[in-house]
Amino acid sequence: MPMIEMKNVSKWYDAFQVLTECSTQVEKGEVIVVCGPSGSGKSTLIKCVNGLEPFQQGEVIINGISVGDPKTDLPKLRARVGMVFQHFELFPHMSITENLSIAQVKVLGRGKDEARERGLKLLDRVGLRSQADKFPGQLSGGQQQRVAIARALSMDPICMLFDEPTSALDPEMINEVLDVMVELAQEGMTMMVVTHEMGFARKVAHRVVFMDQGRIVEDDKKEAFFGSPRSERAQQFLSKILHH
Amino acid sequence: MLNLDFAFLTPAVVSGYVLKGFVFSLQLTAIAMLGGIALGTVLALMRLSSRPWLTLPAAGYVNTMRSVPLVMVILWFFLLIPLLIGRPLGAEISAIITFTLFEAAYYSEIMRAGIQSVAKGQVAAGYALGMRYGQTMRLVVLPQAFRNMLPVLLTQTIILFQDTSLVYAIGAYDLLKGFEVAGKNFNRPVETYLVAAVLYFVISFSLSMLVRKLQQRIAIIR
Repeated sequence: MPMIEMKNVSKWYDAFQVLTECSTQVEKGEVIVVCGPSGSGKSTLIKCVNGLEPFQQGEVIINGISVGDPKTDLPKLRARVGMVFQHFELFPHMSITENLSIAQVKVLGRGKDEARERGLKLLDRVGLRSQADKFPGQLSGGQQQRVAIARALSMDPICMLFDEPTSALDPEMINEVLDVMVELAQEGMTMMVVTHEMGFARKVAHRVVFMDQGRIVEDDKKEAFFGSPRSERAQQFLSKILHH
Repeated sequence: MLNLDFAFLTPAVVSGYVLKGFVFSLQLTAIAMLGGIALGTVLALMRLSSRPWLTLPAAGYVNTMRSVPLVMVILWFFLLIPLLIGRPLGAEISAIITFTLFEAAYYSEIMRAGIQSVAKGQVAAGYALGMRYGQTMRLVVLPQAFRNMLPVLLTQTIILFQDTSLVYAIGAYDLLKGFEVAGKNFNRPVETYLVAAVLYFVISFSLSMLVRKLQQRIAIIR
């Protein structure tokens, strides 16, 4: 059974179709990178995975549980699916420690001390232990994103979703975030990553999904995708982003 | 000329006539503020919901309250409720309930703007961590909305404090009433109204100054 399975997912904003019959799956321990030109529906697709965006047709199944089923306890499912956003979305009115423990306490019901310990351990892991008592606004973008990854990990997720995690960062901060993600991938975390960072894809991705105009145009093993993408659109895209 | 004489305003007179009214004005302001913000927040959440059966009643309530003069609401509530429950409610209790209900309409518009000022991604982040609607609002959105709107909420409270003087319409004993009674008893109405005006000014103006300070601090935090 795949960890994440999408079957013919279609989505409309009123009459405008943003996703057309998208199907793919992510096996346990697999890392897949979703790329494509802006407006191709990558972000919408990944938000359908944990039901942050509703979809009108098709099915998304996480670890055997259907996301679109009205009987599914969506918050309970989301608690086990980590998500990292383009704009970090740390809670600005809470300290870093509080950011890391709030959902552990309020959603998972862990004790405050236990949650704090777990949070500090994860801060250590992303190299930010010394920032524990600061507020998000006092951290750089790269640091905030690393805290956001730690926050998602604090929930002991069964898989992680990344929605353009480095797009809002200054170039010199991209690598510190990618390093954390690479480490995570090498430890066997199941990951679905929307990104333009082809270096990251080459390094750790197992498969690459290429989207254009709301469709999954290409879904290949990494070697095949970088070797010779079949669609002309993907070839154009690759040549633009690899030679800039 | 005016021939003003404030000599009669001894500490004993002030504490005998004015203090009781001053305490009530402050009580009325505090209760109407806390109750109004609580009720106003519920109304704001209702109006921002996607369900018409929540949106419409909330919008109807807010628009009605904001379209009727406060003094009329005070009078109507004072006159109508005894007819409905069969016994008089008392001017003070009646005033407290009326102000809470009335101010809720204004606070709700402020809270609505505040909630909308919080980035949508924050809601998504709450949901993505497994929080439910109530948790996301209580833990993530409302604290930020409240912080963003604090200066406006306080400004509304200053207006509320001034408006409490309208309870004269139903004879409740507030700050203004205290001065009025003292003025009548000592036959010095001009003096007492003058002192009352100065007192309202000093309180409202210092609160405004406080709000301005707060605004600057919030601007820095952002």
